[in-house]
Amino acid sequence: MGAAEKKVNAMDSVKINVTVNGRSHEREVEPRRLLSDFIREDLRLTGTHLGCEHGVCGSCTILMNGQSTRSCLTFAVMADGAEISTIEGLGSIDDMHPLQAAFWEKHGLQCGFCTPGMLMTALELLRENPSANREDIREALSGNLCRCTGYQTIVDAVELAAETMRGA
Amino acid sequence: MSLDAYIPESRQTEKPRDSYKWIGKSMKRVEDPRLLVGRGNFADDVNLPDMAHSAILRSPHAHARILRIDKSKAEALPGVLCVMTGEEAAEVTGPLPSWANPPVHQYCIAQERVRHVGEAVAAVAAENRYIAEDACDLIEVEYEPLPAVVDLEEALSSTGDAVLHPYRGDTNVALARTFTFGPVEEDFAKADRVIERRFRWPRSGGTPMETHGAVASFDPGTGKFTIHANTSMYNYCGWMIADSLGVPAHKLNIIPTLAGGSFGAKLFSHKPCVLAATLARATGRPVKFMEDRIDNTTGCDAHGSDRVYYAKLAIKDDGTLLSLRTHIIDDYGAYFQFGVGQHGNALSQCVGPYQINSVEVELEAVLTNKCQQGAYRGFGSEVANFVIERLVDGAAAELGMDVVDIRRKNFITPDQFPYLIPTGNMYDSGNYAAVLDETLKLSEYDSWRAKQAEMRKQGRYIGIGVATCQERSVFSTTEFWMWNLEPGGEWTSSPDAVSLKIDPTGKAFVTLHSPFWGNSPETVVVQVLAEQMTLDPADIEVTYSDSDQGFNSTGPGGSRFTVMVTGAVVGAAHKLKKKLLRIAGHLMEADTADLEFRDGAVSLKGAPDKRLTIAELANTAHYFRLDLPEDLDLTSGLDTSYVYDHPVTTLPAKDNSHMGIFYPIMGHMCHIPVIEIDIETGKISFLNYACVHDCGTMVNPMTLKGHVRGGVVNGIGSALMEHYHYDENGQLQNALFTDYLLPSVLESPDDIKIGHVVTPSPFTEYGIKGGGEGGRMGAPPALAAAVEDALRPLGITIDELPLSPSRLRGLIREAQAGQP
Amino acid sequence: MAVRGISYSLVGPIAELCERKKTNWDGGAVKPAPFDYVRAENVEEALSALAANAEAQILAGGQSLIAMMNLRLAKPGCLIDINRLSDLDYIRAEGDELAIGALTRHTAAATSPVVAEFCPLMTAAYDFIAHRAVRNRGTVGGNLCHADPSSENPAVAIASGATFVLNSIDGERRVAAEDFFLGLYETAAKQNELLTEIRIPKAPAGQGWSFQETSTRKGDFALVGIAATLDCSNDACKDARVVAIGVDERAVRLNSAEAPITGAAIDDTSLTAAAEAARDSVDPPSDFHADSDFRRDLVFSLTKRALSEAHGRCGKEG
Repeated sequence: MGAAEKKVNAMDSVKINVTVNGRSHEREVEPRRLLSDFIREDLRLTGTHLGCEHGVCGSCTILMNGQSTRSCLTFAVMADGAEISTIEGLGSIDDMHPLQAAFWEKHGLQCGFCTPGMLMTALELLRENPSANREDIREALSGNLCRCTGYQTIVDAVELAAETMRGA
Repeated sequence: MSLDAYIPESRQTEKPRDSYKWIGKSMKRVEDPRLLVGRGNFADDVNLPDMAHSAILRSPHAHARILRIDKSKAEALPGVLCVMTGEEAAEVTGPLPSWANPPVHQYCIAQERVRHVGEAVAAVAAENRYIAEDACDLIEVEYEPLPAVVDLEEALSSTGDAVLHPYRGDTNVALARTFTFGPVEEDFAKADRVIERRFRWPRSGGTPMETHGAVASFDPGTGKFTIHANTSMYNYCGWMIADSLGVPAHKLNIIPTLAGGSFGAKLFSHKPCVLAATLARATGRPVKFMEDRIDNTTGCDAHGSDRVYYAKLAIKDDGTLLSLRTHIIDDYGAYFQFGVGQHGNALSQCVGPYQINSVEVELEAVLTNKCQQGAYRGFGSEVANFVIERLVDGAAAELGMDVVDIRRKNFITPDQFPYLIPTGNMYDSGNYAAVLDETLKLSEYDSWRAKQAEMRKQGRYIGIGVATCQERSVFSTTEFWMWNLEPGGEWTSSPDAVSLKIDPTGKAFVTLHSPFWGNSPETVVVQVLAEQMTLDPADIEVTYSDSDQGFNSTGPGGSRFTVMVTGAVVGAAHKLKKKLLRIAGHLMEADTADLEFRDGAVSLKGAPDKRLTIAELANTAHYFRLDLPEDLDLTSGLDTSYVYDHPVTTLPAKDNSHMGIFYPIMGHMCHIPVIEIDIETGKISFLNYACVHDCGTMVNPMTLKGHVRGGVVNGIGSALMEHYHYDENGQLQNALFTDYLLPSVLESPDDIKIGHVVTPSPFTEYGIKGGGEGGRMGAPPALAAAVEDALRPLGITIDELPLSPSRLRGLIREAQAGQP
Repeated sequence: MAVRGISYSLVGPIAELCERKKTNWDGGAVKPAPFDYVRAENVEEALSALAANAEAQILAGGQSLIAMMNLRLAKPGCLIDINRLSDLDYIRAEGDELAIGALTRHTAAATSPVVAEFCPLMTAAYDFIAHRAVRNRGTVGGNLCHADPSSENPAVAIASGATFVLNSIDGERRVAAEDFFLGLYETAAKQNELLTEIRIPKAPAGQGWSFQETSTRKGDFALVGIAATLDCSNDACKDARVVAIGVDERAVRLNSAEAPITGAAIDDTSLTAAAEAARDSVDPPSDFHADSDFRRDLVFSLTKRALSEAHGRCGKEG
């Protein structure tokens, strides 16, 4: 099929297949539909939050193929065939991921709005760098804004999680 | 009037103790698990069947008449349900709430004219937000631009077309008034010298990560609105929203969602509610209106104070502070929802922790073509703190006095409490010298001064700032109207309520009638109730009421919530405990005076094995009426509620010679940052940051520290990088997060050392004082002082924020040019 | 222009947008306007789609483009998604040249030992570029084509003498970095051209490098940035390159800054002279983040620091 035939009209949909937290979803989306809205509205996973929708605050951060990604700066069609991890896949209240447990322990959240983005970013960091130190953690989280905590306890939490994860 | 006559008796029933079981514990938060797994219920997470989405068409002009709106193309777009103009909205929806008297009229969609960039000119409801925005693109509006009023001092003399609200007169001055408290003239005459400065406090805003929003539906079967929203005060004055919507108050139910931060911004976020509801009524479907970030920065109705101060501090050459005069011009933006409540607020502690004898405040509140002010963490008092601290540092500089010594010399001393400041407000308790000493120790002050001297020899610019500031807590509503020239709406109630019940299995249910903002109300409730009733925290459930079920509750703000919720829980617990003791006494055949609560049971004092658990007692209370005493007042069940009023507040004097007691639960803090400035780039780095907060008895030290730290970083933002910048045409230059700069982790100190001193309040339950506004009350003046100290070799004084690299470099360049 | 620091790669309509200073925030916007969509599976498809659609734009990482589209400051009628063009995602040492495929994500470039060896200036610049999530998706090629005046890599490209390989249905051509950046978001790439590769000559042995930048917050767009390379022998400078960002509508080489030190001994006097010449050669814009006096000060200070640091690295192994 030549490129001309491949063009999808703006008002038509593209069929995409996205795996989210291990579950496969086949949906039809407009080309312009943002991944953030796809996750929140089409898949009803509202744990990923919208703070600015222009790629600065990091509240919408998810993992796409294991890499931290601002879902507000991604079209859903770009996630076709990808593996997405959102906060809902990280752990449950009875079986928390060490990061979640550490945030709880260290008071790493107050309003909780930036928290899913922080957790997903921290998850990427600790997977790549299990011995991340405070400087590494601060650098990694520099693209996630928090208005409540002053950040220190978030860094404390990631530090504790790293320790837990290394120990386990 | 004698102090005894002036100060009401304390209604404290729970005295502070040396040890507690649950109060004072840094317990993990009850709120956290659901937030950690992404199951917080925020406003944008509310999804109702058949729900439509809305967007607003924002005004591109700062000030303009709306001549014509052509919405035909927008209406024709498939998926669009409704396109509404301000004129159409006004047919069914009245003005938005305003505490100003006389009020300033604001509508959820502008009609006739727009008054700031970003104000809604039209609103669209559509199948999804994408289509709603497409429709906005198709709306054609013809404007007649009017002069944009941007400079607050120029706004003092606006006339004609430059006047935003001509129905109030040919002026943009919304309120001008002077208050004189004490013998100001005399005190200035006695002074050896007067420290005189002009300060500029920039417009910033709470700017929480979550914007304001609402999901509204209208039931034509009942004529009733239901609104899910992240606003507070729905159980205090939610009826005002019903008023705007033109329905009786009981035809509106407001259901709170969690709020993703507020810092005051969501104190009474009425506009999204009214807008969403208006669209819901028009479309016959539930409608969601979530501000996007630009809606928020341009039109959140919650910008912070934006002030010029001409300030004078009369002093003696020995460093005694005598009197304070301030002439304030405050830029309120286009509307006036809270009147000058922010200045009532500032009168509560404008003299800081010092024995200043008299105060004069001349205020001119002006209206300009900007987003209106709301509340931002401090509600105007953080500015008063900045002003008095800068003046005190100025006095120290002029006298060649040490910045620590001059403060110590003028502190109110522990034996002087309860202390009345000239404005009439009371400081309930405190020990400012102890806080200062603790901070000097915690910050290793002497060691840093020595290091500073060494580093200066190396040509480095190191600064140490000292700020000793008040954090008043638990506001009285009088602050909202005490400045008004015309009476009306002079409320004096600012309570908070809880409902409490224990079910037949012994589980406790507490309902809060105010929302969650990121503070920790559920955790506070659990700790206090567990303390009161010796329950296990795991057996306590906390929920939130809506306005249908709710009782009068003012909600978080003004560092009041922990004190008020504690008071309400204590009041409710007392009632239930009394009933439980009666039942237990009856069943155990013991005198209630011989019984106590211990380990989740009522037991005999001295013989704890003789007990009935609360669960057993609850079961009896619910199901075994005939086993209870015959008293008709003793009904089946265990349920109650308690509305806790402001613990100590009085009216302003009729002649305004004083403002009464209106913000008396007085916390205090000392902040000592150590910074280094790269004088070539104007960049600041933190070498140390230490602070001590006295918030009376602490319920949860961990969450209190969270407010201190979070507040410090908000303060760093205000001091160093945050400024909503409007150009000469009233265009907001930095509506995006790329340009309105919030501190990230890298701009925040990694180790803010926090200490505590505890001077309990004699008026609140357990002696708790508020601490929610936290570090923002003290960080800005501390940072200004540190920067000034760092640049002392260049002779620079700091009178204006934010201290961006550009501004600092400009001051440095100027100073260097002036040097030989 | 009120929208600082968000760049997007539309040639032509940008100028119109920049003229439109009167209104900044008309419309409601955090969702993009509709666009036609082509997902290219290979370079040929991308090129023919570009040729067939005059209003088409390339969608690579989207970190700048999608932000602009969300804000409706960009409304391309058609997007050609090239994220499947894995053939363009590579970092290769090719003799004396570093070849970076245009679709290489910033994260890969930032952490690549090959890049560190061939172009340590680029590795140093990555310290200042955005944040991790943006670097995961953003591409080297996309960023260069966006040509934001405060973007770091254009300066790196000019300082390191890079060449850009552009392909279209008409064939291939190469453009030197110093000829590529024309103005505000404007490059020499034609509408139907796709940047496929960036070629950077390996830094000469013993060359020193430095990237200095001042921004209010780490990761923000630069207020001023200086990329510098220095070739020395016996403590005298043989060749210097100084490129500035944040002082003009594009990255600019400060030739006059290079003159005072070329052929001279490197000491405080010559470094100061170079820095002064740099400062005097620019006429930077003013905005509320930084006025022109401040930017001039920064040009002075950062040029001196950059040349000094580059000098310190001279002669050492990269």
